[in-house]
Amino acid sequence: MRLMRMTLLVLLVGSLWGCASSAPPPQPAARPFDNVRRLAVVVTGDSRLTVLEHSAEPGRTFDEVLSWTPYKSLLQPLAVLLHKGINWLLESDSTEAAGRDLAGIAPKAAVSIAFAQALAASEQFQEIRMLEREPVGEDRRRVDAIVRLSVPAWGIVRVREGDPDLLSGFADVRAEMVIRGTGVLVWEKAEDVTDPERLPLESFRKDSEFTRHHLLDVLTRAGERLANELVYARSAGR
Amino acid sequence: MRAAALPALLSLATLLGVVGCARTVGLDVRYPEAAANRAMLASVGSRRVEIRSVTDRRIDTARIGSKPDNGKNVVTSRPVTDVVREALLVEIGKNGHAVVIERGDVVLAADVEEFWLDTVTGYGTTQYVGKVVFALTVIDGRSGDSLATRRYIGIKRRQVDKPADDVAREVMDAALARSMRDLATDRALVAAFARATTAAAPR
Repeated sequence: MRLMRMTLLVLLVGSLWGCASSAPPPQPAARPFDNVRRLAVVVTGDSRLTVLEHSAEPGRTFDEVLSWTPYKSLLQPLAVLLHKGINWLLESDSTEAAGRDLAGIAPKAAVSIAFAQALAASEQFQEIRMLEREPVGEDRRRVDAIVRLSVPAWGIVRVREGDPDLLSGFADVRAEMVIRGTGVLVWEKAEDVTDPERLPLESFRKDSEFTRHHLLDVLTRAGERLANELVYARSAGR
Repeated sequence: MRAAALPALLSLATLLGVVGCARTVGLDVRYPEAAANRAMLASVGSRRVEIRSVTDRRIDTARIGSKPDNGKNVVTSRPVTDVVREALLVEIGKNGHAVVIERGDVVLAADVEEFWLDTVTGYGTTQYVGKVVFALTVIDGRSGDSLATRRYIGIKRRQVDKPADDVAREVMDAALARSMRDLATDRALVAAFARATTAAAPR
């Protein structure tokens, strides 16, 4: 009898154990920052134009991808077009250029401009300043917090298998906000942003202007998404 | 009698276990209340909000994707309209508005246009791309005037070594959450809520 009870207990515990493993992890506690009114946005880090064909290691650059990919023959013309069409974006994507030229469309600049514009439109902050580098002196004292924003990778990713496969522009972005003076981290976010539109490689390959616009759209979307997440988190925990 | 009961009890225990785990066949996509915050939508005074309809406008309503290994349908454990309705309830409620079943100051109607999970298989990796798109029409509950029509898109992309239902669900959860966060921080929606005639306001 005792053996039977133990057997039943083991079976029941075992059956429930299998299901229990799918329980989501607890959410980390959020720290509100709705007293932050004046922000400085600083772009940081390197950006890599990447094709995530997703049949090998991610995060490779065009040239690296082209050296091994089975799509080399297809991607080569795309790479040429991209190099022609958007090299000026890459070349202008220096820290100096990012904050100086608000009309520019360098990856980090494109994301940070969209980010700042979306934050301004939200009317949740009194002042948002885009800076080329970490603020110093009076510039630093006049802000409540500093947002450091980076675009580690952006480019094109295969998002649907089929005939033909479909691809979208993407931007992987990161941001953190620290309180000026204390350096306390109050918010950080990494967002994988993918353009809603999916197209065959041919669409990107045959029209460099379209490709450029598509990539700019997704960079803009990335900035707006980050801004929405920042605004959304502002009162977290209240 | 006791000896005869043992196989029956074992069968029952096994059945319970199978039934308990069977829920994972359909992805239990949801937007947990713990993930929601008060956001810009809370900047408007509390409104009585009626979610009149959530309609499934997807082309393929039978599934939300297919498994790359066997082509079997990926489905949600509940209708996607229920998933989106519940997410709206959470977000609206969390932002301080009262959800009512009739005579709301604000009437919402949602059309689910896409609720899809793509799975891209690579060498040793699997990439999930979840996408949720819905349109939201905001109507003044008292005058019947249309206040706004907005569209929200949530996309989540994630790469894993091994495909798993839990990861697929998390990707869809994240896509849904992103669409809700865009909704809660949408100035046009906030403005529409602010324009809605309330019971206290003169007609």
